[in-house]
Parts: sequence; structure tokens; C-alpha cells
Amino acid sequence: MKKIFLILITLFFGGVTIACGNAATTTTAAFNPASNINVYTRDTTSGTRAGFMAGIGFAEAEANDSVLVEGFIIKDNTGILSTMAIDEYGIGYISLSSVNNTVKGLYFEGVAPSEENVINDTYALKRPFMWMIRDTGDYPSIEIEEIVIAFIAFLGTSDGADTIANAGAIALQSSTTWDAIEGDYDVCSQDNSDIVVRFGGSDSIQKVAQALTAAFMPRCGNFVAEHDHTGSGDAYKRTNDPAIKDTSVGKDIAFSSRWFKTTEAVPESQFGQLAWDAIVAIVHLDNPLSNITASDLKAIYNGNIRTWSSLINP
Amino acid sequence: MIKAKNTTGKRTVDRIVKYFFLSTAVLSASFIFIIAWIILIRGITPFTTDNGGLGTVDLLRFLTGGVWLEGQAFVSTLYGVGFLIVSTLYITFLSLLIAAPVGVLTALFIAKTASKPLARALRTVVETLAAIPSIIYGLFGAGIILKLVYDFSAAIGYQSKGGNSILATALVLALMTIPTITAISEVAIRSVDKTLEEGSLALGASQTQTKFKVVLAAAKSGIFTAIILGVGRALGEATAVSLVAGGRRSGFSFALLDTTSTLTTIMLEGLKETTGIDYDIRFSVGLVLLAVILITNLILNAIKRRVGTIRVKE
Repeated sequence: MKKIFLILITLFFGGVTIACGNAATTTTAAFNPASNINVYTRDTTSGTRAGFMAGIGFAEAEANDSVLVEGFIIKDNTGILSTMAIDEYGIGYISLSSVNNTVKGLYFEGVAPSEENVINDTYALKRPFMWMIRDTGDYPSIEIEEIVIAFIAFLGTSDGADTIANAGAIALQSSTTWDAIEGDYDVCSQDNSDIVVRFGGSDSIQKVAQALTAAFMPRCGNFVAEHDHTGSGDAYKRTNDPAIKDTSVGKDIAFSSRWFKTTEAVPESQFGQLAWDAIVAIVHLDNPLSNITASDLKAIYNGNIRTWSSLINP
Repeated sequence: MIKAKNTTGKRTVDRIVKYFFLSTAVLSASFIFIIAWIILIRGITPFTTDNGGLGTVDLLRFLTGGVWLEGQAFVSTLYGVGFLIVSTLYITFLSLLIAAPVGVLTALFIAKTASKPLARALRTVVETLAAIPSIIYGLFGAGIILKLVYDFSAAIGYQSKGGNSILATALVLALMTIPTITAISEVAIRSVDKTLEEGSLALGASQTQTKFKVVLAAAKSGIFTAIILGVGRALGEATAVSLVAGGRRSGFSFALLDTTSTLTTIMLEGLKETTGIDYDIRFSVGLVLLAVILITNLILNAIKRRVGTIRVKE
């Protein structure tokens, strides 16, 4: 019995050693288009996933795993990025700010994934980050209103843009600095440490919004920013819907990670865009594919396309 | 007089210290009950309430289900963890299959064969390994083991999912449990009475026979304790495992190169971003995990009592 056990152990480790030897000496074979596509996705709570699925016309998969192709792999942002450097036959998606030279970012509908193409609105796999504020005079106090107006002005400065970029989104172009316009906002020279401004709306924007308030608070009398992000749908409701805006969940500024709908119409001075969130479909560097369409991506994610051969023309 | 005074003083100090110790003991013990209570209360909520109008989660379906969530997240209550219970136990078993022989034989080497300076050096190495945080093992797994498993499966002609697999998970867990098993087995092996070995050698047994048949047999109980602790570490590990498992969402699978999930990874994924039922259900998974750990430990302890009753020492 003991002898058999010993022999088994020896065989096992012998096997492992040989296997490792093989693995180490394996050279990367040429890309084989007949291989199956390994489909990588974020989990259902991810804002990037919601943006990606909506962008490729597969909105029902935003929060539903059951409609995805069988055998998909769930990883986080870093996980997808690092695995795509290993898996020659994988496809995944990450936000544009995470793309680096270890993977290949695919052109979307013929347009290269770059910040420039996002800002000039040619790269389409993206979603806008929008803000919405209350009506003039409809704030708990005049100081809060002035801080809100100053905050919106800050969003358009290069300081605001840097903060947005550091938080992983793509800021719109800005020409001025906060120092240059600070004088126009008297409220920011006061001590505002007892004033609470309520931020809400999209939870996908929460990270960016928190970075922005963290950067803006010391510039505007250390007011207190209260963040309560519950989803894009609440951006309009909690700032402008007469039935909700004055309840305890009312907000002074709220964000949305999609365009506002016609049912959410407010005067032009009360909403605007602060950034873009661009998403890039990525593959292994050895993958010959360089461009992909929304319909192909949808077909990959719902399982209609299972092998690379239907996407890669020999 | 002075002497007597001192004694009273000392007694008072003793009493104060005694009650101080008692209070810390009560405090730390009560945490266990508080934690267990909170997990229990939150964990049974999805089964006892209608979850804000979504309906009650079916307990039997939950415990035996082969799909984590059917339908849309935050809307559906069709959760299931049956396949996760099985995969958790399966992966733990596989990792033990690697870690137990390696750990015990390493311990035998350190305790009985290695020269004193070498043994001291190895002991330090093992203790250092045991102290390495799990996220570091996870990073090693994601960076090295995934690549090795991917290349290995490519070499045998199988297209793995970027190396994310049961094999990679078991390997990472084995790496993590080997130091635990080694450190505790080594103490058990070292405490085996020297006279036993001498007796065996005097009767004409070889060094190898003595080590395997006498020393290991005498240390059996301690080695089993080591394995139980190893199992505990493997069952409860979340961070490292989630980086190499692949986030499988449905189906019982035993193929070594297939993706997988465990009770812990499903709890961890999206935990920071999710709300409502999708958040509460993670407490239920926690309850299931606690139950699995408890039952496994009871079974292992029962086995340990059986195999460890022969007291060879003395």
C-alpha cells in the first residue's frame, strides 16, 4: 500500500515536471482562426458592462448573464486586461483609459479607439457622462446654489479635466484654468464648511464625481459633498421631478451615464455633458483582426458567432 | 507590615488584571456571536421576506441549483449555489491532493533529514510563505500560473479559457496551503519520541522504513490537524481564487481545464457595487459557506479521532 502510494507520488511529480518542461518550451503557434472565441465579460454590477452592452445594441445583457453565450468568463477590469495578454483566442472589453500595449484595442466600425476620436465624436462605442442641476432659486439655500454653479464652471476648466482624466474618463476640451475664473465665484472665497451639497444620480459616475468633489472642495471654502449615487434614472427625478425633488432623497446635482430622454427635458442651462466614457473591445496581440462592428460584437456575446474564422477573412 | 501591605496591593492588582483579562475574553468571544448572528439574520432575509416585491427565494432551489442567477440581476430571485458547493469541495480536495504529500514530506525532510542550519533556513522560508497575504498568491497565480496552464493545455491540444480553470485554482490553493501543512506537521514530526526511532532502527529497519512507518505513523494525529487547517484555508480563500477561477456562472463541472467558481468568489464578485437582493443573497452564500466549513471540519475531526487513537508516544 505504502509502496503504491510512493510510486504514485513519484509519477505525479514526474508528470508535473515534464508538463512544465513542455509548457516552457512551447513556441507560440500561428493564430488558428478555426479556434473558438473565448468571451470575457465584467459581472452584472459593472457600469462598463452596461455601457458596452448598450453600445453594441445588446441592452438586455446589461444585467443578465442568462442571455450571454455559454461558457463566458467573468473577470474584473484588470483581469480582462491581463488575461487578454495570455489568451490568443479571447475577446473582452475595458475602458479606453485602461488600454495599453500588451493587448490590441479593436477599431469600432472602422474608427480607431483614441481619445481624439472620442472627443470629435467619431468613435461610437462610448457613452456620455451628463450632469443635471435644479431650477434657479430651487435650492435649499442661496449658498448651495452658488456652489453648484461654481462646480459646473469647474467642470469646464483644465483642472476639472485633469481630475476627470485621472478618474478614468475622457474630459471634454477645456481652455481655461480654475485660477483664471475663480474670481467670478465669490462664494468660493468664503468658509463653506457647514454647507452640505447633495450629489447623486448614476453610480457609474460615482468614482469620477467623488474625484471631482474631492478636488473642488478645497477650492471652494471646504463645503461638504454628500454622495448618494443610485442610477442614471434618478438624475432627473431627484433634481427636477416635482414629486421627488423636495423629498429626503432630493439632490442638488445629479449625474447620468446616458443622454437625457425627452421625458427628462429641462431648460438648457440646467444640464450638460462633463465627459465621455469610452469602451474598447480588446483581443490578443497575435489576433489578425483589427476592426469590429457592433453587430459582430453582439453576435459574439450572444453566441451566434463562436469561432474566429467568420470574422477573419483569409 | 510593609510586606503585608505589598501583598494586599499585589492582590488588588491581580484581581484587576483578572477582570481585565476576563473582559477582553468576553469581548472577543462575543464578536463570534455578533458576527454569526448578523450573518444569520441577513442571510435568511432573502428566504423569509418578499425582497421588496421581487418574491421569496426558494431555499431548496437555492441549495441545489446549477445556475447562479437565472434572468436579470436585481429583478430575478432565481438564485442557486448547488454547483458552487460541489466545486468548492472539489477544488479543496484537488488542492489537498497536491499540498498534503508535498507539505508532509517537506516537514519530514526539515524535521528528520536536513542538517541543522538547513532545517533552520527552511523553517524560516516556510514561515515566511505562510505569512504571505493571499492577494500576493493571487497575483502570482494571475501572472504566472494562468500562463503556465494556458500553455500546458495548448501543448496537449486543448483550447483553455486563458488558463482560468479548476487546475489553476487548485494549484494556487495548494501553494497557499503547503506552508500551513508543512509548519504544523513539522512540529508534530519533531515531537515524536526519539526512542521510538532508535527502537525501529535497532530492530533492523532502514532509515526510510523508520521514517515512513514509525515517525509518520506516530505523528499521524498532528499531521491530520495540519491537513484540517489546510482545508480551512482552502475553503475560505476568496481573493486569490477569484483571480484565476474564471467566474463560472452555471453548471457542475469537473474537467480540470474548465472554468469554475467557488462560494467565496461568487460572494466577492461585484460585492462592492451591488445592492438589494443581489447584495443580501451574498450573506446567504456566506451562511452556506459557514455550514460547509463546519460540516467538513466535523467529518475530518471524526476521521482524525479514528486514525489518531493509537498513541505510540510513551
